[in-house]
Amino acid sequence: MADIVAPRTARNATVRTAILIVAVLAVAAVAIRILEPGRIAWIQAFFIVFGSLLVQAMPFVLLGALASAAIEVFVPVDALERLAGLPRPLQLPAAALAGVAFPICECGSVPIARRLAVRGLTPSAAVTFMLAAPVLNPVVIASTFVAYRGRSALWTMVAGRFALGMLVAIAVGWVLGNRSKDELLRPRPDDARAVPLEVEPPEARWRRFFLHTGNDFLFMGRYLLLGAAAAAMVQTFLPASFVSNVAGTLVLDIVVMMGLATVLSLCSESDAFVAASFVQFGPAAQLAFLVSGPMIDLKLGALYAGTFRRGFLPMLVATVFATTLVGAMWAMVAGG
Amino acid sequence: MKDSVAVRGPAHARSHDEASGRAWSSGRVAGGLVLAAWATVFWFLLLTGRDDLYLSTRTSWVVPVGAVLLTAAAGGRIASARVRSPEPIRSREAWVMGSMVVPVVLVLALPPATLGSFSASKRPGFSSAGFATSLGDAGSGPLTLVDVAAAQYSKEGEQALARRAGEQVDLVGIVTRYADTPAGEFLLTRYIVTCCVADATTAQVRVVNVPPGKFQANDWVEVRGPIYPLGKQVIVNATSVEEVARPASPYLTQ
Repeated sequence: MADIVAPRTARNATVRTAILIVAVLAVAAVAIRILEPGRIAWIQAFFIVFGSLLVQAMPFVLLGALASAAIEVFVPVDALERLAGLPRPLQLPAAALAGVAFPICECGSVPIARRLAVRGLTPSAAVTFMLAAPVLNPVVIASTFVAYRGRSALWTMVAGRFALGMLVAIAVGWVLGNRSKDELLRPRPDDARAVPLEVEPPEARWRRFFLHTGNDFLFMGRYLLLGAAAAAMVQTFLPASFVSNVAGTLVLDIVVMMGLATVLSLCSESDAFVAASFVQFGPAAQLAFLVSGPMIDLKLGALYAGTFRRGFLPMLVATVFATTLVGAMWAMVAGG
Repeated sequence: MKDSVAVRGPAHARSHDEASGRAWSSGRVAGGLVLAAWATVFWFLLLTGRDDLYLSTRTSWVVPVGAVLLTAAAGGRIASARVRSPEPIRSREAWVMGSMVVPVVLVLALPPATLGSFSASKRPGFSSAGFATSLGDAGSGPLTLVDVAAAQYSKEGEQALARRAGEQVDLVGIVTRYADTPAGEFLLTRYIVTCCVADATTAQVRVVNVPPGKFQANDWVEVRGPIYPLGKQVIVNATSVEEVARPASPYLTQ
């Protein structure tokens, strides 16, 4: 008798919660229509930037989730384990170069990297891939070329972004060393259910595919919301001109441009056009903006916080910023 | 299994479910509904043409692709939501999923709007030294706001623009005023977007000879008159300023 009553009580609680959530959303919609918060300039600016970040990023998160689910369901475990068996000096560059084949933005690469690590690829190689793909893919390199076409620093920026992006991604993988996936990844309930318990052939594969796609999208999506909200808030209130005072100051201008890339949270396929607009900054600072931005920003910070364990983010920030700083300065010296 | 529930379907489905031992998983159904809500946003943007308010024309392909993929993902999720052991959904998880629908409500409920004069001072100026077409256009053909803005960021552009001093222009943008803007002037602003509005940069010219008090900040206007490039600053001496409707594509694209 108790077994029957308990599920019924739980069902009632769930129905009540669902009704409450729908009611809250409906009241919010009506309130928005009546109060028109967009009449207040900063609220309107915030909503537009927040909405545009999400409209731009959500399909890429879903593409990442689809690729992640395909890896989970269709790629045999031994294929990734064979890759994991490669000597480490080869693994990291190979993982970085694999990013060339994935024209996907930074939001989409996080679920893929997570799935690769869960499925047996060396975690350091998965992270290297995650960081390299948004910088090295052909769409990003082409957009960098277009943004800097006609400038004397064209090839320094295009080649520098590719080479330094790869170097930084490999450096992070190298710092991660031999950490296991359990040391690196935050556990998720569906990892434990990777082996299908509830589905039966012949439906098993497609059911699992859609299950994993949805799980990854919902998991990443909630962190993307937080990150996009933070980025939109910064973009709403922070004037881009606030960094102008440090332009031309050796080292400091590079650091400031990396910080600016972090708070602006631009898509790697468009950031070159914004970087090119900071004409008061030298090529080294602009290159640092282009390399660190797709690896560290507010929306990515939220995704990383949901995906990786606590120590990962400080290590990532320190390694990316330090390597990019040194690399950008060296690139400018070498490029004359 | 606290707060878990297996929601049963109609009677005929229930008998089939009972025969096959399957029931609806509330967790999977909820996830499917969130995906469906996001699919609705993308279909809404596509069908109403409001994608122009968030994305540039070069990235608007994201909207139909997102609509189709999200619909497929939602359908697949719900189609695979009948399971032998229904997954639980906790109250906290339900609220998290509910919060993921908040942006959907915002996009659907807010009236269409674009970045206004408030954001003009927060955005970097447009620079397009690498955009050869604009530089070419600054030297010949009708001048656009993109040509004018791009030309301000290179010596060649400035020189090309200077040679066209006194030529008539016809520009559309929003009225922007700062605290120190004289009453008979405003800045004509247009945002240039590469991927989405988050990367918007500004193209601006100073418009003089404007009837004081006639136009408010954020008004869309069409300005006609001769153009006078003065180094980094470009002035249009307005012979005509008319309020116009917001263009179908309010943001310019490189």
